[in-house]
Amino acid sequence: MNYPRLKSFMLRSKLCLLLLLSCSWQLQADELQWHGFISQGLIQAPETNFVNLDDSISAELTDVGVNMSWGVSEKLRLAGQAVYLDGGRRYTKGTRLDYLFLDWTLYSDFDWRLNLFIGRFKNQHWLYSATRDVPFTRNAIVLPQSVYFDSFRDIAVGSDGLALKSTHDTSIGEIELNWSWGATNLSKEQGQILLSTQAQGNAEQDYVHQASVFWRPDQSAWQLGLSLLDSDFSYKKAELDLYSDGAMTVQRVMLNGRYAAEYWELSSEWVQERLDISDFYVPGFKRNSFSQGWYLQGRYNLMPRTWALLSVDIFDLDKDDRSGVKFSQSTGGMVPAYFGYQDDVTLGLTYDIKDNLRLTMEHHWVKGTARLAYPVMPDLQHNKSEYWQMWAMQLMYWF
Amino acid sequence: MNIKFAVAGFVLWACSALATEVVTHPAVPMDQLTVTQLRAIYSMRQQNWPDGKAIRVFVLSAKNPIHQSFAKEKLQMFPYQLDRIWQKITYSGLGAAPVVLTSEQQMREMVANTEGAIGYIENSDELSTLKVIHVTQ
Repeated sequence: MNYPRLKSFMLRSKLCLLLLLSCSWQLQADELQWHGFISQGLIQAPETNFVNLDDSISAELTDVGVNMSWGVSEKLRLAGQAVYLDGGRRYTKGTRLDYLFLDWTLYSDFDWRLNLFIGRFKNQHWLYSATRDVPFTRNAIVLPQSVYFDSFRDIAVGSDGLALKSTHDTSIGEIELNWSWGATNLSKEQGQILLSTQAQGNAEQDYVHQASVFWRPDQSAWQLGLSLLDSDFSYKKAELDLYSDGAMTVQRVMLNGRYAAEYWELSSEWVQERLDISDFYVPGFKRNSFSQGWYLQGRYNLMPRTWALLSVDIFDLDKDDRSGVKFSQSTGGMVPAYFGYQDDVTLGLTYDIKDNLRLTMEHHWVKGTARLAYPVMPDLQHNKSEYWQMWAMQLMYWF
Repeated sequence: MNIKFAVAGFVLWACSALATEVVTHPAVPMDQLTVTQLRAIYSMRQQNWPDGKAIRVFVLSAKNPIHQSFAKEKLQMFPYQLDRIWQKITYSGLGAAPVVLTSEQQMREMVANTEGAIGYIENSDELSTLKVIHVTQ
């Protein structure tokens, strides 16, 4: 699909939002709310390149954020959040503008509500996508990589563009519809997390187009959802570069469900992702593959303030080659078959020390390395084991 | 062991006996709400009364037995589900979370003195400054 280029639109919308933000400080701030969070943890994933390369215990597990929401008028609201993230090699480290958008209520009555968002907004289409950097909103410190692949985090977390959200109370329950269109500017570092440090050229997301529906049936503990994603990327090689000019298309179909009981809950997402690569590795190269993955997480309220987590996460790089054997053969045996899948079993424990102070601990047992960096260039040097483990603990505070 | 069971039984009885009333500022132009409408208000999706005035949502802390009773009886939800909704809208920019009050007495005062306010209290006869909202299916 072809869409108009977004850059000039994004630049203009960012400037408008910054202007509005600066005005907001000069106006009466009776509708201004602000919140934040700070968390620090320890993590270790030996024999992999997931967090670091020296297998040591790492403190690169920091999430800090501060946000504000300002009601400009009854129909208009301005919201923004800045975050500092450090996840080691999982995604780019540093301070960033997480979101900054104008929320315009186009229609609102007791049964139906429609909002338009303009600016940089979060991905509202998956179960945890909108708050994946906010540690106390997640069931686990490291989210299931089949769906929330960390190398893709900077692209999947949000977009600059336009979004619509509609919630409608009907006779069969609440229906929520989301639509968004935009793109994310990729820095060189972000490009290298996707394409490896050998990529010297310029990677760009041309657009990402998403839609989703969530259904919460009346008198039911269920929530069910479906989401679709279509995105194009382009790569312009540098003068001295391992890769060639190329294009990639990523398309996702996702299903999700959640069941809430008083002392336990289940949540699950299933994803099928199409990855179409043209040129890129060498001029004339063409590959079209479908990966599949799903996870099921169960939480149980062991005692007041304490929740236990059991999570199973399954991912196959090619749904027609779940053992990875064909993939390995296609590289002449150079890349082991375990780069074709990644299955993870996680046990975790969360304890609320206070209402807004939480300690979470978890241990992962993993088979396969398909969701370790880099998605387009297996890291044979650092991901040497088919079976590996990871643990993490994180203390988090929010206000 | 028997004492533990007796205490647990008493706590369960005390919680089940706790009945809550949904209350609003006296000028709010409604006498009843459906569970779905009440959920829309407490999920912060519905932000205006039919006369256009802003809805001001007040809650007690998640650990307060009145809040737990309100969530389960009136909203037919569990407190942790409400926490998740409020955290999602607060930290992804979709809106503002309700104002958390520290006691039922403060809830009575804030709802009575704030235009467009909605809250909940333990069942009581002393309601002269508040409007009781009948919640229907």
